Amino acid sequence: MDRRFNDLLKVLFHPHDYFKILSRDRYKSLKIRIVLLDAMISLVPLIIVVTISYFWFQSILKEDFRNQVKWQIENTEQSIEYFIDEKVSALRFLASSYSYEQLSDQKMLTDIFSKFEKEFTGLVDLGLIDSNGIQQAYAGPYPLTGKDYSNQEWFNEIVVRNVYVSDVFMGYRRLPHFAIAVKKQCPEKGTFCILRATIDMKILKRFASAINLRENDDAFILNHEGILQTPSRFYGDVLNKFKLPVLPTQRGVSVVDVKELDGGPAIFGYVPIRKSPWILVAVIKSNPYLRIPKIFRNELLLISILSIVISVVMTFLMAQTVVNRIKKADQEIEDAMAKTEQTSKLASIGRLAAGVAHEINNPLAIINEKAGLMKDILEVSDSLEQNKEKFLSLINGIAESVNRCRTITHRLLGFSRQMEISHETVDINDTVKEVISFLDKEILYRNIRLELNLQNNLPKVTTDKGQVQQVFLNIINNAIDAVKEEGYITVSSHIKDNHFVRVAIKDNGVGIPKENLKHIFEPFYSTKEKGKGTGLGLSISYGIMQKLGGTILVESEVNKGTTFIIEVPVNTMEVSKGGL
Amino acid sequence: MPHMRLLLVDDEVEFTLALAERLQLRKYDVRTAGSALEALALIKEQLPDVIILDLKIPGMDGIETLKTIKKIDPEIEVIMLTGHGDVKSVEEGIKSGAFEYIMKPVDIEELIVKINKALAKKNKEQ
Repeated sequence: MDRRFNDLLKVLFHPHDYFKILSRDRYKSLKIRIVLLDAMISLVPLIIVVTISYFWFQSILKEDFRNQVKWQIENTEQSIEYFIDEKVSALRFLASSYSYEQLSDQKMLTDIFSKFEKEFTGLVDLGLIDSNGIQQAYAGPYPLTGKDYSNQEWFNEIVVRNVYVSDVFMGYRRLPHFAIAVKKQCPEKGTFCILRATIDMKILKRFASAINLRENDDAFILNHEGILQTPSRFYGDVLNKFKLPVLPTQRGVSVVDVKELDGGPAIFGYVPIRKSPWILVAVIKSNPYLRIPKIFRNELLLISILSIVISVVMTFLMAQTVVNRIKKADQEIEDAMAKTEQTSKLASIGRLAAGVAHEINNPLAIINEKAGLMKDILEVSDSLEQNKEKFLSLINGIAESVNRCRTITHRLLGFSRQMEISHETVDINDTVKEVISFLDKEILYRNIRLELNLQNNLPKVTTDKGQVQQVFLNIINNAIDAVKEEGYITVSSHIKDNHFVRVAIKDNGVGIPKENLKHIFEPFYSTKEKGKGTGLGLSISYGIMQKLGGTILVESEVNKGTTFIIEVPVNTMEVSKGGL
Repeated sequence: MPHMRLLLVDDEVEFTLALAERLQLRKYDVRTAGSALEALALIKEQLPDVIILDLKIPGMDGIETLKTIKKIDPEIEVIMLTGHGDVKSVEEGIKSGAFEYIMKPVDIEELIVKINKALAKKNKEQ
């Protein structure tokens, strides 16, 4: 607290110095603050824009890719639909072009089959089944004439629906294929028959592979039970069960994002194939839309880095300019303050000179009058012997006045000496004892009780011994003057903290009235009897302690006594460097 | 110049005593005072013709003392004494009715000239 107060005093008395010290750090922190603020203003929107545009671009690419996938699935579905339509139409054409008798004729059917095979890609066999489910004629690689289909589900279905497209199944040669059947009414007989063609699954597979696939992608056909109708790359061969649930809508392509499929994100697209029991499925695991942003990202990064570099450079330049302007303005203020300080210094010197003139003129006036009186006496009286005693007394008076002048000039010398500081290791207790030894006789003569209360383990201080001695001497001298006969003075020392040693000089003298307390450190302020004090002692002491980085504190009560507390810094150099 | 009554006011006793003695040798009737109160008491006891008044005296400010003296008897002439060239105080003193001022250390001849001038002025007015 005391140290803070001391600092405050220093700021008040030397605002110029304080300002200078403060400003160095202030400019730095001001510059940092400007740079940070400006960087925030320019970089935050940049980062936001870059981030948003990056994700926006990615989402556009992704959407675009999804649309591509959707479009391909749609096209393929349409191709398959047309293919089935075409096959059904071809069968219908056969059924309507030939009569039941012609078709049920084995030879004729074989003939038709052999002609038709060239146009009808993937055709495996052709058969005619009568209304009882018995295959009446068959053209193909297997001996299937006479086979009874009446118990099979598809047979019952076609009776109702006229057209039937089957799931893929394994035939006699263990090759997957599917069947298309159409119903032919035979009105002349009042009955019907069924023309049935079996088609190789490879045809379907070709359609599925028409989807533009990349390394990790897959496309295949499922039936509504999730059984693979064509082989897949990653999910097993024909007639295996597909592991994902497929819930096709009535119409249109569904595209679903799957976050995690076999260790990565995937797009899962499917569409029911009209006029068939199938669903076309595409699993797209390659994500080229992620690769495209990489290129975009690099460009974006380059632009961002360029922008950042430019804005940082601009920010630094701007901060530099602003801080330099402020610095210049501060410098001007500082110069003005320095000028003011110089002016007030000159005023102090003026006051000091006036004080000195007054203090010296008084004893000079005495010398002048005494010498003049001696001259006057000599002029009126011839006998020296007669005036011997008078002369001796006058000479004594002159000598006393000369002493007064000497005291003042010595104090003034002390005042000028306090400008320079020398450093040595000093034991404060020894210094106190030495000072007291100068004053021993006076203390004895005036019957003053002096008590020493010195702490033993005081740290040695690095300071100017002579100057500290002078401070102690001035203050103990004041204490001696303040106490009446048989008064007492206590000099004590102790450690204040790691940085200061305290010496307290306490007396039970007359005390200092409150209104005088604020003046006691002013030069030439004295309440002592004329000729006894110069009014410089405390002023000099205060100046010395300030120079040494210490301080002097006073507590006083009228008629009870006064305590002066002198705080000596343990290391004057350190305090002087750290302070002002 | 019979019975010219002077009053010296200054807290430097050694100074006033020596100066008084010198003036007495020159046949002036001189009394001395060490403070304003003492001076006022002596004035009331017997009015002096001229007062030599230091501007810095204990008890009362020199200018205040001057004003009080002038109130008691405006005809008393005052010569101000000053230890240093405090121009402001001197100017104020002249405005407040002081006759003259003289710097310390005092040249006795100069002082006597000023005292005589003051006496001459006083006699003229009477």
